[in-house]
Amino acid sequence: MSQRAIHKSEIETLEKQGCSADVWETVQVKNNFNPACIRNVHFSGRVTIGRCGQDVERAHGFPAKSGVYNCTIRDCSIGDAVYISDVKLLANYEISDNVIIENVASLCVSGETAFGNGVEIEVLNEAGGREIPIFDRLSAQTAYMLTAYRHDALFIEKLKQMIAVYVGTRTSTRGAIGAEAVIRNCGTIHNVLIGPAARIDGALTLKEGTVGGSIHDPVVIGAGVIAEDFIILSGSAVDSGTMLSKCFVGQGVRMGKGFSAENSAFFANCEGFHSEACSVFAGPYTVTHHRSTLLIAGMFSFYNAGSGTNQSNHMYKLGPVHQGILERGAKTGSFSYLLWPSRVGAFTAVVGKHYANFDTADFPFSYITEEEGKSVLTPGMNLFTVGTSRDSRKWPGRDRRRDPEKLDLIHFDLLNPYVTGKMVRGIEQLRLLYEKTPKEKVFVTCAGIQVRRLMLKSGIKYYELAVKIFLGEQLVRLLSEIEAGFSVENVVSHIVHAGEVDFKWVDLAGLLSPKDRIDELMKAVRNEEIFDLDGVHRHMLDIYNAYDAAVRAWFIRLVEVRYDINRSDVTATHLVQILEDWKESAQKLHNMIIKDAYKEFDSSSKIGFGIDGGPEDRDEDFTAVRGMHKTNSFVTDLQAQSQRIEDTAEKWLSVLS
Amino acid sequence: MKHSEIQSRVKKVISEIIEIDAASIPDNANFIFDLGADSVQSVSLVAAFEEEFDIEMDEDKALEIQTVSDAVEFIAGYL
Repeated sequence: MSQRAIHKSEIETLEKQGCSADVWETVQVKNNFNPACIRNVHFSGRVTIGRCGQDVERAHGFPAKSGVYNCTIRDCSIGDAVYISDVKLLANYEISDNVIIENVASLCVSGETAFGNGVEIEVLNEAGGREIPIFDRLSAQTAYMLTAYRHDALFIEKLKQMIAVYVGTRTSTRGAIGAEAVIRNCGTIHNVLIGPAARIDGALTLKEGTVGGSIHDPVVIGAGVIAEDFIILSGSAVDSGTMLSKCFVGQGVRMGKGFSAENSAFFANCEGFHSEACSVFAGPYTVTHHRSTLLIAGMFSFYNAGSGTNQSNHMYKLGPVHQGILERGAKTGSFSYLLWPSRVGAFTAVVGKHYANFDTADFPFSYITEEEGKSVLTPGMNLFTVGTSRDSRKWPGRDRRRDPEKLDLIHFDLLNPYVTGKMVRGIEQLRLLYEKTPKEKVFVTCAGIQVRRLMLKSGIKYYELAVKIFLGEQLVRLLSEIEAGFSVENVVSHIVHAGEVDFKWVDLAGLLSPKDRIDELMKAVRNEEIFDLDGVHRHMLDIYNAYDAAVRAWFIRLVEVRYDINRSDVTATHLVQILEDWKESAQKLHNMIIKDAYKEFDSSSKIGFGIDGGPEDRDEDFTAVRGMHKTNSFVTDLQAQSQRIEDTAEKWLSVLS
Repeated sequence: MKHSEIQSRVKKVISEIIEIDAASIPDNANFIFDLGADSVQSVSLVAAFEEEFDIEMDEDKALEIQTVSDAVEFIAGYL
């Protein structure tokens, strides 16, 4: 419906209702304009008003008619069925249909702004050098490369140029408020782009930012939030006193309860409550829930920070220049401390305080403990702790992202080529150390950390279990795919034609990829064969979608390495060996995990139960609250899985024999 | 190997890993509840038993060893 100038009679009506305008001629309305819905409003500059008078619902469910009440409006375009009330200044916004804005001190855009796009945040190294220019389509993968691949200056330069071009497209002197957004009870909102269906209620200050989202997956900003130089993307909720300064908040993130962060990026499904983050690269599923927890100058993913976790990046020498990396799935126990720089291998649990600088990337699934002030690595021990198994099962089900376009590309497999490759390297290193270390030595130093000599051999055994399970799982996947036309020749044919793949893999904040595929991407960016961010994302998506085929190819390379054969020389004997190893190893590992779970039901776990009674009360109280080991759903699932593995292995072994 | 010798050597291993006096270890002591072993020490004990007796214990079954007497019986089965 076209806009028109306000009629003189309508102006008279509006003025009787307390309205005024710098110049009435620059205020436009639609044909069926109803002046009754505009009261106590001062208009300034060019303002267009859509249809009003429709029923809307105010805070607490009170009914109202759409329109504009008790406001100063400057240079705004207001859509249909919009309700605006008690806004001291609303300036330079395009307001879509069905928006509600009430009780806001100031909601305006002034000057040119990119709404947080292009703001450089100093992640990982607090002193700078790894800045990420954030933007509203930033993925964990692009951010990872910007952060970690500074060795390739030309690549970084080209990538930053692409981002600068994109930021240019987001730059404007006018803001937008998407359809069905609701903004209530807020303080100052300045230079903020607000996405469709966003709910902003009670925010104190929002400056220079984007509240993204979509109708499918809106953003929620709650009470007491203060955010400056930020981007918050779809499906995220930032609530209850959160303070953000120079931060990127990706999709499906939860923040609240006084969480504060600066110069940090949080990707898909992160959670931040109570605690503090500074110069943090929080990859997907990074979780910090407790007060007294400081995450600083670190890169994480699938990370759970125990209460009171603390890290230092400053040794009072050249400033806060140190950085730390916890690879996927690492955990830090309550009141653990890490003095950066250190790098902790995937799925490793850190307990205690650590002043040594170590790099345990080749020893995933380990325990790092403190023994009389020393940092001690127990390689492979976290493979059979129940927590690791439970974590790996819960993450896929906890993906909150409802946006049809998921920016972060995430692979969830616990045993994948990245960590399995690390274990293969770990086995080699442990074996060498074991062979050369005299028996009288209690500890040896490896990768900057102490390892009990006795645990070198145990670590090899644990890693061997996991590698055999990986091989078996992959072989069964292959056999299942060709079940209908099964023959050993057919299996070998699939193996021979599986393609080649780089043996080295990388974990780009959730995306698992052969290293050479990332190298290709970087080369294409350097050569300008890929020249925009869509091109970068498409290449990443190709890698993501080719994961299964790449894992298959890597599995075959691993078979070649372990059996010292060429893929064309694979025989039924090799296949039988892989299946038998799988059956035995998987059952062993499952039993070890079940035994670890049993500890959660042993007598020490019952301390404090049946508090005022005797042993029987204690047992009954425990059973009532915690249940029983044998009926625990996690345990029964593991047992069922163990049985399935045995059945599957037996089936294929009988076919192959 | 005699049962008593196994027991003596088991206690020696325990005393080294948990750092307590071997003579103070009761025959039926539980590693965790009586001797205060943590989970890392429990795993280290298995590795130490293997080396002391030159055996390869099943990783899964070895986790069932909770007491001195468990260890003695278990190791005797390998010798």
